[in-house]
Amino acid sequence: MKRYVDINDDESSYDVYCDNRISNRKYTILNFLPKNLWEQFSRFMNQYFLLIACLQLWSLITPVNPASTWGPLIFIFAVSATKEAWDDYNRYLSDKKANEREVWIVRHGVKKLIQAQDIRVGNIVWLRENDEAPCDLVLLGTSDPQGLCYIETAALDGETDLKTRVVPSACMGIDPELLHKIKGVIECPSPDRDIRRFDANLRLLPPFLDNDVCPLTIKNTILQTCYLRNTEWACGVAVYTGNETKMGMSRGAPEPKLTAVDAMIDKLTGAIFIFQIVVVMVLGIAGNVWKDTEARKQWYVLYPHEGPWYELLVIPLRFELLCSIMIPISIKVSLDLVKSLYAKFIDWDQKMIDGETGTPAHATNTAISEDLGQVEYILTDKTGTLTENKMIFRRCCISGKFHGNESGDALKDVELLNAIESGSPDVIRFLTVMAICNTVIPVQSKTGAISYKAQSQDEDALVHAAAKLHMVLVNRNANILEIKFDGTVIHYEVLETLEFTSDRKRMSLVVKDCENGKIFLLTKGADEAIIPYAIPGQQTRTFVEAVEQYSQLGLRTLCLAWRELMADEYYEWSLAFKEASSSLVDREWRIAEVCQRIEHDFQVLGVTAIEDRLQDGVPETIETLRRAGINFWMLTGDKQNTAIQIALSCNFISPEPKGQLLLIDGKTKDEVCRSLERVLLTMRITSSEPKDVAFVVDGWALEIALTYHRKAFTDLAILSRTAICCRVTPSQKAQLVQLLKSCDYRTLAIGDGGNDVKMIQQADIGVGISGREGLQAARAADYSIGKFRFLKRLILVHGRYSYNRTAFLSQYSFYKSLLICFIQIFFSFISGISGTSLFNSVSLMAYNVFYTSIPVLVSVLDKDVGEETVMQHPQILFYCQAGRLLNPSTFAGWFGRSLFHAVVVFAISIHAYAFEKSEMEEVSMVALSGCIWLQAFVVALETNSFTILQHLAIWGNLLAFYIINLMLSAIPSSGMYTIMFRLCRQPSYWLTMLIIFGAGMGPILALKYFRYTYRPSQINKLQQAERMGGPILSLGNIEPQARSTEIAVSPLSITQPKNRNPVYEPLLSDSPNSTRKSLGTGTPFDFFQSQTTRLSSSYSRNCKDN
Amino acid sequence: MVERGETSSTGGSDGTQDPFPSAKKITKRPKYSRFTQQELPACKPILTPGWVITALILVGVIFIPIGLASLFASQRVVEIVDRYDEDCIPPSFKDRALGFIQDDNTDKTCIRKLTVPKLMKSPIYVYYQLSNFYQNHRRYVKSRSDKQLRSRKDESKTTNCEPEAFAGDKQPIVPCGLIAWSLFNDTYKFSVTNQPLAVNKRNIAWDSDREHKFGSDVYPKNFQNGRLIGGAKLNSSIPLNEQEDLIVWMRTAALPTFRKLYGRIEVDLEAGKEITVMIQNNYNTYDFGGKKHLVLSTTSWLGGKNDFLGAAYLAVGGICLFLAVAFILVYVLKPRPLGDPSYLSWNRNPLGHLN
Repeated sequence: MKRYVDINDDESSYDVYCDNRISNRKYTILNFLPKNLWEQFSRFMNQYFLLIACLQLWSLITPVNPASTWGPLIFIFAVSATKEAWDDYNRYLSDKKANEREVWIVRHGVKKLIQAQDIRVGNIVWLRENDEAPCDLVLLGTSDPQGLCYIETAALDGETDLKTRVVPSACMGIDPELLHKIKGVIECPSPDRDIRRFDANLRLLPPFLDNDVCPLTIKNTILQTCYLRNTEWACGVAVYTGNETKMGMSRGAPEPKLTAVDAMIDKLTGAIFIFQIVVVMVLGIAGNVWKDTEARKQWYVLYPHEGPWYELLVIPLRFELLCSIMIPISIKVSLDLVKSLYAKFIDWDQKMIDGETGTPAHATNTAISEDLGQVEYILTDKTGTLTENKMIFRRCCISGKFHGNESGDALKDVELLNAIESGSPDVIRFLTVMAICNTVIPVQSKTGAISYKAQSQDEDALVHAAAKLHMVLVNRNANILEIKFDGTVIHYEVLETLEFTSDRKRMSLVVKDCENGKIFLLTKGADEAIIPYAIPGQQTRTFVEAVEQYSQLGLRTLCLAWRELMADEYYEWSLAFKEASSSLVDREWRIAEVCQRIEHDFQVLGVTAIEDRLQDGVPETIETLRRAGINFWMLTGDKQNTAIQIALSCNFISPEPKGQLLLIDGKTKDEVCRSLERVLLTMRITSSEPKDVAFVVDGWALEIALTYHRKAFTDLAILSRTAICCRVTPSQKAQLVQLLKSCDYRTLAIGDGGNDVKMIQQADIGVGISGREGLQAARAADYSIGKFRFLKRLILVHGRYSYNRTAFLSQYSFYKSLLICFIQIFFSFISGISGTSLFNSVSLMAYNVFYTSIPVLVSVLDKDVGEETVMQHPQILFYCQAGRLLNPSTFAGWFGRSLFHAVVVFAISIHAYAFEKSEMEEVSMVALSGCIWLQAFVVALETNSFTILQHLAIWGNLLAFYIINLMLSAIPSSGMYTIMFRLCRQPSYWLTMLIIFGAGMGPILALKYFRYTYRPSQINKLQQAERMGGPILSLGNIEPQARSTEIAVSPLSITQPKNRNPVYEPLLSDSPNSTRKSLGTGTPFDFFQSQTTRLSSSYSRNCKDN
Repeated sequence: MVERGETSSTGGSDGTQDPFPSAKKITKRPKYSRFTQQELPACKPILTPGWVITALILVGVIFIPIGLASLFASQRVVEIVDRYDEDCIPPSFKDRALGFIQDDNTDKTCIRKLTVPKLMKSPIYVYYQLSNFYQNHRRYVKSRSDKQLRSRKDESKTTNCEPEAFAGDKQPIVPCGLIAWSLFNDTYKFSVTNQPLAVNKRNIAWDSDREHKFGSDVYPKNFQNGRLIGGAKLNSSIPLNEQEDLIVWMRTAALPTFRKLYGRIEVDLEAGKEITVMIQNNYNTYDFGGKKHLVLSTTSWLGGKNDFLGAAYLAVGGICLFLAVAFILVYVLKPRPLGDPSYLSWNRNPLGHLN
């Protein structure tokens, strides 16, 4: 599908395409109610409650006033509808603001100021500096004589650097005055969401006739929400408007993620539902039998002899309604409420604010905090995530000479400086490529200082380094590059730019030396994209060695190369290139193919090595999280050696003999298969040994493994705690996440760049680092943090607490609902199984909504053990990971407790209030207060740390119960008029409460104490250790044996230079445990390893069982 | 080092406007408070042996005296319970109890003699006790109209009263419903040594019921006029709020065995005295095998004779003391220091499992 945009045509395209009204709204005023209700009722729970509420309208079967269900139901619906409405209203306001913004457009040949929403496809829109583009525009002209403009795309892709956009060649040089008269046709694809691609053509009409069809790329566009910067004005023609812009197309709500806890709660709800059906059937049958045998004799009940046809159904339906409170209607609301509080706690956390930029952590997705505590696999990106992505040029190898090896900084290397001084041609070419083979934009400030705006940190580092080495990139004006070398200014004309793609792994520039007219191809790229294409005969061995050596130091390498082009060769090629770049189909592929034709026979100039330092606290974080039983996979686009070195330096893998790295490689199916099987075998053998085994795989082998040996690779994934995948593409990252997810592991993906977005969205939890590669990952992620080290706190503190709290809250909600429901069921046995409700409507309604929900909500403040303790004993996370606190067996415990408490409350109430006291309202109130007392003490017993708020909520709630009921008892028309006053005056009432408390809590306390002291869980032990004030052993003390002294040499490093230490020193000296310094490996892996393999195997079992 | 600050994030914007969230976040540093940091001062009790054993002993020490006091109070209550439903059937009707009770022409009078076991101080409460009578049956308990009882103008509000809502001619029954219809109608006349013993039947219902629940302008209407006669009839010239037997009866019982106040004897009864009761045995419980008792009882601070609370207190108190002793023994025999990190499974046995 294509669209043809008539530039500046005031009539024709008006009706064809939509106007520029942006609408993010989900609802309109008219459809809000039906649509919202429809959405809410698509959930099973809500359907169930609605059914119950409808059944209650039938007064024959309803045990209580229908208001007792309708009230909470309407309340709950109103709450979520209000939230939706508020969100939608805010969206409406922001849309309105965007739609009513005034913009200059050309209409009937005259510039006019109109509202943004009235822009039509084909209109010419004028932007001034710092204006936001109201729709997708194709540039026609700018204030810059070269037809350049700068835009900022932060809102679109989160990247905060400036990007250049250029006027299409056909429009170049048109007088600004004539621009509003311009006519033409743009042929462009139908709207899509790809913000990196715009394959279109432009043909101008007379008087601007240009025979050529001018190709358009994304470089010629200003997309909606981009800002015009550093450019006085720009004008463009609207090609996509309204919700059809690239931004508009890529909007859309992400799939809601369901946490494992939610799934478990749903499962438990289902189980309770089945239990309820069984109870209803049993009681229904019993009720009908009793009715036919007994009730007919009870003359005062006056059962008719012939009932209606539905008579048999009446009693079961009554019980259904009576038992409907088994599933607490408030649980959803309570959970939503506490979940948003968890998210707020993350947002508020001062300890997760990045000191450098002041960026706080942010939870975009407020619903999945519990999953953080249940993470089993972390898949991490390397660059920018583990490392700072702050590139510094450290070493280089120019035509066989290594620079910077001694000092660790090539910029201070005397030999290099001398070579520059003496003007060695190799060095100068090397520097030239460093300085100009890039897309960096130099910006000269008024004082004359030059700053660079680079899209890639590597390029930035190279340009800066070149500038330090006296090769300064001064100006980049359209096609003219100006560099200054030792005072002399050199001009190059850029003929073509062969942009970097992750497939080609290199970028090239075709330039013409303005002085002598020679044409050069300058290339920089990954070693495997350059060295194999070196000119035959050139000795590339030193370069290969250099690459090897540098990457072993964890440095990022780039090869620089060049070639002189013959003029004929260039012209011939440039035609092909032009054709390829104006093709509408498969443009990317065709360009790559054309580029291939010229990028060969390089003369390799040298290798640069750029250091990317590890972020603070990365090794500690990884070690702590691994001790918490979390498995780490590193997925990186980097080279294998670099990846392994980084992995070693951040505790990812351990060096020999503790660790073992297994390599999966191979170029063909069979090779990969063999290698995979070998690794699997080794893995299985060593799984019993205390050894840290990891496998390394590269992108190519991974592709084969995933395609042909998926089963074996899955087995491997389950066995392996650690993996390094290098040279992987974004979609492979996502595939790996998918693979682990399919094995029922809970995965967390963390990354910082656009290439991690897919993986972040795919994973159960996506964490983005708001780093230097922009905010793209952070935006796509569920959580964004400033630095990798905050992950520790995010998981161990926030995730763990969230899980614990939700586990308690959800089970407790069921407990209290079951408690009151069991009492109703028991009561039905002494009321002729007729489905009488012991409790009145008001009590039933208020029980779930008011009396019991507040104390449990403050459990969001509960901390079982302190943050410090968790950090010191991350193993405790196991309880969350394995779901030890919320599973059918813990639930059975709560179920049993509610049954026990129901028996206690019921038996005591009916016996203490027997004979002359057995008045319905009084007995009901006694039983209800018994429940309230017990639930208050149960919350108190299960609370680990009491803050003032907990005391207020628990005891205040108990008090509030009495106040509310005393007030209700003062209303003459209410059923319970004077009841509470009467009860409160009776000593026997208070004695009954006390005995309910004693009988209900005594055994619970004793049991809990017994388990706490004689069968303690690890959490209990830590609580004891923490609160007895005894020393909580730190990591160092736990280490069972002294580490054998120096085994610092990694198995893989062939030449481990001495000066590695200065680079990494600051990192290690930060660590609290200096014993690790020499090694950078974790605490005893011998127990850790075996234990965790056990764990991981038990996880898988757990997961499968569920 | 290269000056590189400029190259990153802010990207050359002149600072007049900052549309990016990254820039906003810097100014939007979260506010510090102990609540937001989850650092509210907290007390973290743990279940130490001392704490738990003290608590258990305390419960035991408090509960056992309460239990004794309750039992004592309950024992002090003097109670005469006399089941009369079977004995009040004349021998000739032994096999046809139902026929006897449903026949309007039989003589339902029945004389019972009760001996006072101990001195009974006034007031002595007279109850009738029914068992296997489901006043809490759903069909029964709902069958009333509080509105109608309360005021005359709501006389026709009989929605829930079916099947006793309307008399034959569509006139509303006042008081309507099964509860009122099945009003208990046995009567008792007491005499001691041939002297009639006055039973005060005033103020046997709750004040609140008389004042607010039953209207002074509501008079019985069309009551017990139907084909089926349930229980007692009401004097239609007395307003409902003075029909105290009805008010008492309308306070439905939660249990199938219940006592309802019949009246009060306001003189002391000496031990050994013989009370003669003339019972009009009208109420039909023979249909469903319900028992009828006549109960005379004094009262204590805890109410009537009910050993349950006392026994429960003694039991719970005893169990708590027993648990406390058991825990002390276990603690002494098998001491276990709390809070020793070496017990942590990952510290204890490197190869072991987390349990």
